[in-house]
Amino acid sequence: MRMDTVIIGGGLSGLSCGIALAKRGKRVTIVASGQSTMLFNGGSMELLGHIDGKAVTNPLEAIATLPQSHPYSKIGADRIAELTERAKLMLTDSGINMVGNAAANHWRITPMGVAKPAWLTLSDHLRIDDLNSLPAKRLALMCIRGYFDQPNAMLAQGLRELGFEVDTIEFTTDDITALRRSPSEMRATSLSKHLMSNNALRRVADQINTLATDADMVLLPSVLGQNDDSDIQTLQSMTNKPLRLVATLPPAVAGMRMMKQLRHYFKMLGGNYLMGDSAVSGTFEGDRLVSISTAKLADMPLKADNFVLASGSFISRGLIADYERVYEPVLGVDVDADSNPDAWTSFGVLQPQAYSRYGVATDDQLHCLKQGKPVSNLYAIGSILSGHDAVKMGDGTGVSLMTALAVNDLIIKK
Amino acid sequence: MAERMQSCNLSEHNFEQCTKCSICTTVCPVAAVTTDYPGPKQAGPDGERYRLKDPAYYDKALKLCLNCKRCEVACPSGVHIADIIQHARMRATLGKKASLRDTMLANTDLLGTMANLVAPVANATLGLSPTKLVMDSVMAIDKHRTFPAYSRQKFTTWYKRHAAKEQDAYRNHVSYFHGCYVNYNFPKLGQDLVKIMNAVGYGVHLLDKEQCCGVALIANGLYKQAKRQAHTNIDNIRKAVNTDHRTVIATSSSCTFNMRDEYPSMLGIDNADVRDNINLATRFIYNLVDEEKIKLVFKQDYKRRIAYHTACHMQRMGWQLFSIELLRMIPGLDLQVLEQECCGISGTYGFKKENYERSQAIGAALFKSIEEAQVEAVATDCETCKWQIEMSTSLPVENPISVLADALDVEATRQANGIK
Repeated sequence: MRMDTVIIGGGLSGLSCGIALAKRGKRVTIVASGQSTMLFNGGSMELLGHIDGKAVTNPLEAIATLPQSHPYSKIGADRIAELTERAKLMLTDSGINMVGNAAANHWRITPMGVAKPAWLTLSDHLRIDDLNSLPAKRLALMCIRGYFDQPNAMLAQGLRELGFEVDTIEFTTDDITALRRSPSEMRATSLSKHLMSNNALRRVADQINTLATDADMVLLPSVLGQNDDSDIQTLQSMTNKPLRLVATLPPAVAGMRMMKQLRHYFKMLGGNYLMGDSAVSGTFEGDRLVSISTAKLADMPLKADNFVLASGSFISRGLIADYERVYEPVLGVDVDADSNPDAWTSFGVLQPQAYSRYGVATDDQLHCLKQGKPVSNLYAIGSILSGHDAVKMGDGTGVSLMTALAVNDLIIKK
Repeated sequence: MAERMQSCNLSEHNFEQCTKCSICTTVCPVAAVTTDYPGPKQAGPDGERYRLKDPAYYDKALKLCLNCKRCEVACPSGVHIADIIQHARMRATLGKKASLRDTMLANTDLLGTMANLVAPVANATLGLSPTKLVMDSVMAIDKHRTFPAYSRQKFTTWYKRHAAKEQDAYRNHVSYFHGCYVNYNFPKLGQDLVKIMNAVGYGVHLLDKEQCCGVALIANGLYKQAKRQAHTNIDNIRKAVNTDHRTVIATSSSCTFNMRDEYPSMLGIDNADVRDNINLATRFIYNLVDEEKIKLVFKQDYKRRIAYHTACHMQRMGWQLFSIELLRMIPGLDLQVLEQECCGISGTYGFKKENYERSQAIGAALFKSIEEAQVEAVATDCETCKWQIEMSTSLPVENPISVLADALDVEATRQANGIK
């Protein structure tokens, strides 16, 4: 089967690149081995959060100071401003409503109540533009009885440290109580499915309106709206106070929603999305990748003019570490990683870890390298790239979006 | 050495690869609508840890699993979650007798044979409300269900009378596993396949002997009978492949998935030597076009807007691409691919009275997206999805093969392929 472009990996970067290409009329197939790490995303995109442990206020300026090995530098720091605008547009076209400014980070709130710099946040999630001017004085933190993926005490403490007055209010409804029969399923994504009907939302609104009388803003764990934001809007219309959602521990409804919206948009544009299949090998001829084979298409390889490797980092198995080496398992392309396993990690799980900067090696046009030579029609995008650190630098989602659009441009220009 | 052992996965169904990430729970259609079911993570790998210690930890709620395999498709770690659940069910029910209702529902071919003989009577009777009420109360088959209508003439009878003798004249040949649905309920689909294959120069033959693939038998715990029928089918497929040198194609995604993947994983039947030669018709035809071995010519004035629904087992097989891309070859066809959702029927599951409401609740999201898609019809490769969608929406449902046959300019195609 022949496509214009085949993308290995169906997460944020793969889908963004796929959407951009499909929009230009290209025939695109994405091979996605299961759901992606977007299910861990609490509703924000980061461009650049920290450099050497210090919070970044203006990402666009800070990006210009990054070393040449960083994916942003390979794209060209001067292009990032334009790409952020296009990324925002693509998200809006997919139905994802986010707010933010690439030249001025705002703060998102983690499930543990910590404020972290962010570029974009879903419009219905709590966002603080300026720590000296909070969006509300007194918050009602609604805590769902029997729901353990929101550490309420820590979250409330964190919010108080930011300067909010916080009332923690426990509540439940018949729908929520019924769900507690299966405690292992008492999760954000299940709650969002059981709180979809107007009646179920009305019962939540009744609780909020009765219990949260003193606050000027109501915070609800992000357990609503796994398909779009209509359930949240419905609840807001039934509630007499401004309502914001706050991220929960994963699996996260916000990430699930964004994933579904991107996937839906990609399919609308005519893209093929092969969920649950995985690329297993590639056939190279000279400096080109000719085709890839997948586990399920078996004897029918996917041929294409261009290929994009967007299979993620270690957690998504885009990279594998065994007892001797770090490698890329599908195409065997070159990897930037220390050859000595002792250098991969340092003691203390919260310390910067060398392995989180490992990834596939690319030239300045994001071509993958094989035995040191660039493969002319194979690009790498997103978390699989070396030279960035999603955990310590807060640049994971940004690298996914920016490299996806940059590679789209390279392919279109060919 | 001990370190190296860890890099090998020693467990069945990739059980040890589970990282407890809970992603499977986000796609389970059953847990989404009921709290009676503990969800794939608890029912699968988590529960298995307990069951390995003591089988008494078996939870009867596991029978609520649809075996739709969406959890396996979503798992980023390649754990065969549904297989773990199905095997736990199998161990727990081994030696126990299935109910009359389950036996009846599972024996689609026996039911079909009897019903074909008296099709007008059966159709009328099965449609009558007193009959439905008796089935509902005595048999626990839900009264809202409409049994698919039985055809007066079996596909095999039609084939022998009208198609068999001209098939040898073609250059190339395939064997067709028609399945129960084509044979007893909807011979037109089989006729459509013969029409297409003949037009591109392929003779279509039946297996020497074909029995129900047994997908419903497995679902209803009738493992012994399923195994017997599976052996018959694999033996006959083997003969078609090895002696007659014919690929075996099917029009049902569930029959195909069952014979390729469930025979070895659920019934322990080794099909490795012929598995690659059990193919889905859309994939087989797509491949022939792709390799430029055949040409398809379509009607010039053809215009239709339809939606494609990916059946759960089709997605598990990973072959929806072929049906979708084959349909996209039709110039006048505007195809909308729907977000993959479970329709809720899962073979015989939705026919059971205790599952009816759950089954409809599961399918609700799909039904809504179909009604909103502004299409004339829905295409899907699974016949039980077809019943469910036709019962629950206002739209007719067709197999992609029937859509293709309808759009095909048969005369022009025959000419393009050099067939007189």
